[in-house]
Amino acid sequence: MTRRLLILAGLLALAACKREQREVRLDPPALDALDQVALMPNGIGGAPPDVLPALGRPYETNAYQLSQGKRLYGWFNCTGCHANGGGNVGPALMEGWWRYGPDVQSIFASIRDGRPHGMPAFKDKLTTEQIWQLAGYVQTIGTYAAKTAAPTRNDEMQSRPSESRGPAGADIAPPSR
Amino acid sequence: MSVAPEEPEVLDRRLDAAALDRRLDAVWQTPRGLWAALATVDHKIIGRRYIATAFVFLALGGLLAVAMRLQLARPEARVMSADRYNQVFTMHGANMMFLFAVPVMEAMAVYLVPLMVGTRNIAFPRLNAFSYWMYVAGGIVLWGAFVFDMGPDIGWFAYVPLSGPQYAPGKRADIWAQMITFTEVSALAVAVELVVTIFKQRAPGMSLDRIPLFVWSMLVTSFLIIIAMPAIMVASTSLILDRLIGTHFFNPAEGGDVLLWQHLFWFFGHPEVYIIFLPAVGMVSTLVVTFSRRPVFGYLGLVLAVISTGILAFGLWVHHMFVTGLPRLGESFFTGSSMAIAIPSGVQIFCWLATLWSGRPVLKVPLLFVYAFLFTFVMGGMTGVMVASVPFDTQVHDTYFVVAHFHYVLVGGAVFPLMGAVYYWFPKITGRLMSERVGRWVAGLVFVGFNLTFFPMHLLGLAGMPRRVYTYPAEMQWGSVNLFISLSALVLASGFLLFFWDAFRSLRHGIPAGDNPWDAPTLEWATSSPPPSYNFARLPVVSSAYPLWDERDALSVATGLRPDRREVLVSSVADARPEARESSPRNSIWPLWTAIATSIMLVWSIFTPWAVVWGSIPIATALIGWFWPKGVPEDDA
Repeated sequence: MTRRLLILAGLLALAACKREQREVRLDPPALDALDQVALMPNGIGGAPPDVLPALGRPYETNAYQLSQGKRLYGWFNCTGCHANGGGNVGPALMEGWWRYGPDVQSIFASIRDGRPHGMPAFKDKLTTEQIWQLAGYVQTIGTYAAKTAAPTRNDEMQSRPSESRGPAGADIAPPSR
Repeated sequence: MSVAPEEPEVLDRRLDAAALDRRLDAVWQTPRGLWAALATVDHKIIGRRYIATAFVFLALGGLLAVAMRLQLARPEARVMSADRYNQVFTMHGANMMFLFAVPVMEAMAVYLVPLMVGTRNIAFPRLNAFSYWMYVAGGIVLWGAFVFDMGPDIGWFAYVPLSGPQYAPGKRADIWAQMITFTEVSALAVAVELVVTIFKQRAPGMSLDRIPLFVWSMLVTSFLIIIAMPAIMVASTSLILDRLIGTHFFNPAEGGDVLLWQHLFWFFGHPEVYIIFLPAVGMVSTLVVTFSRRPVFGYLGLVLAVISTGILAFGLWVHHMFVTGLPRLGESFFTGSSMAIAIPSGVQIFCWLATLWSGRPVLKVPLLFVYAFLFTFVMGGMTGVMVASVPFDTQVHDTYFVVAHFHYVLVGGAVFPLMGAVYYWFPKITGRLMSERVGRWVAGLVFVGFNLTFFPMHLLGLAGMPRRVYTYPAEMQWGSVNLFISLSALVLASGFLLFFWDAFRSLRHGIPAGDNPWDAPTLEWATSSPPPSYNFARLPVVSSAYPLWDERDALSVATGLRPDRREVLVSSVADARPEARESSPRNSIWPLWTAIATSIMLVWSIFTPWAVVWGSIPIATALIGWFWPKGVPEDDA
């Protein structure tokens, strides 16, 4: 029992340390490999690049990477179409309904290559790493479970509960489909 | 002098010395064994632990300082990354302020004040044990987080918005804020104990004008803690709320205020400086008296200086905020009040000088540290008057000039007297003297190393080198001075290393000290060294401020306490007239359980607000266990 507890504590500690690391300069080979998403033929789903699990899925679980994604969300005017996740001319992101799939590689593909009916491709405007940061953050907006690593409120007018207080749709009526 | 008993109890006056010692020891002792060690409420054992733990944190913080000096020794160095450096300087500041400086002063008081006022235990001894466990837990939280790359990286002052939810991702800032909660709870607990001990448990006859100066300064310090610490707890709790559940205390867009943080922080942060400095003042007064071989010059002046410093401490916090854009009148007011603090400081300095001048100073190691203090602290005071002026402060704000200034006042003003105090009271605590020869080396190395390290920082600051930068380009031409500083820091570090080595060696191999090796005048030397578990077999009765000098042959004592249960004498605030016999609690393991339950709740609450709900259940359970009557004689008051 004690040993199991110790192992659990160790794992938690390891998870914590991954979550708090601030990797500002990835190895060039790892950077290159980040682009290799094996999508299904319809551009949805598929497998993330092998390097992502090897790195410990930082863009979904690391606090720093998620907060970088949040910055990019503002800097690259995602709010222009998606508002703060509630949607405008673009679809809402916060109600937990993903028309191109909820997995992070699909969101990555949406940002990198764009989607029909107005979603532009960002592959010429952002680095691959930045697209991953943004994808990880966007996923937390419509997440299915609360994530303590996710960013919290902005120093702005409040428009919705913070990402870390998820899951999505808890405070709003589900959309009629 | 004794209180007449109504009921036929066993009283200490009917027992001879040996029988009394035996009975008292049976009641007051802490048995051997781990369980008893965890359950003890003896202020001497807890004070010893407190002091040792604080010095461990001093050593750890010193290692961080050395690491920073390695990184800064040459331009563009790559000893550590910028992210690591941010954590290291934050840890250094937070550790030194919250885990070393304040606790070590309180720790000295926890050990010494009950002895100096002639009582058997500190007031609220179980709270005292709880306070120590909370302090240790806070230290473990902070350092554990640092080990897991989760150490705070926001500076020891944690200014919003950079520490707020938008710019400080992850839980690093929350670790800082919750560490504050731990240390403040423990500091507040000790402050309350000290105030009550000093006001209500003084030996008969120790009227206000006979209180030792160290006890006076701890009294004022305790009030500063009680008034200042709530501000920082409000601030850090608001920060956690902003970060965790999205409140808007510091969000201007929703009606919050960023400057509110700085006001709350410095309303605590400036008195904090005096919380650290005033105990050191008391130590200096004690050392100067003992080694000048005469009563202090200007007792009343010194006491009033300490009190007025304590009051002024709350009127000058805004001088940390001169560059935030204040109204003119505000700037002028806080410049004036900041400079006014020089008046009580000057009174103290001149009283000490007059005492030394007219006495016959015995140049032992503690007095060497007092001399080091006088020189270094006056230097820091001078630069303090300089940065109190707004135009000058605007120039040097956030430069190494400020780093130099506050190290001169904090190390010179508090650490030097503390080291002197350790040399002075080490025989009281351990029964053995530290080495006089090694001590001279320590004083020399620390004094020279300190000045060589920190004086050039004034020049670097005037040359424009900013604080908190992890490196600098070679073209700025700061490289050679920084290299000199880093090499001098090694001299300083070697002095501290020698100090620690001397303390460890003297624990076992020091010369046995006897009861009063310095022929000191205050009550803590009236009992054996180290003192027995009950401090005094019969409580001393005091008729002057220097009882051991004025009644050399035999100290008067009070009788009439029960030897078969833990009992202390309660006396009146002004004249210390005996008023009542009060029971003092027995050892208890419940403070430890309560501290563990509280720690779990506090750490858990970084992650979810529900921790406050569910975590309070174990705390309530532990508190019920704490206060549940155990059927011992101490239960009735």
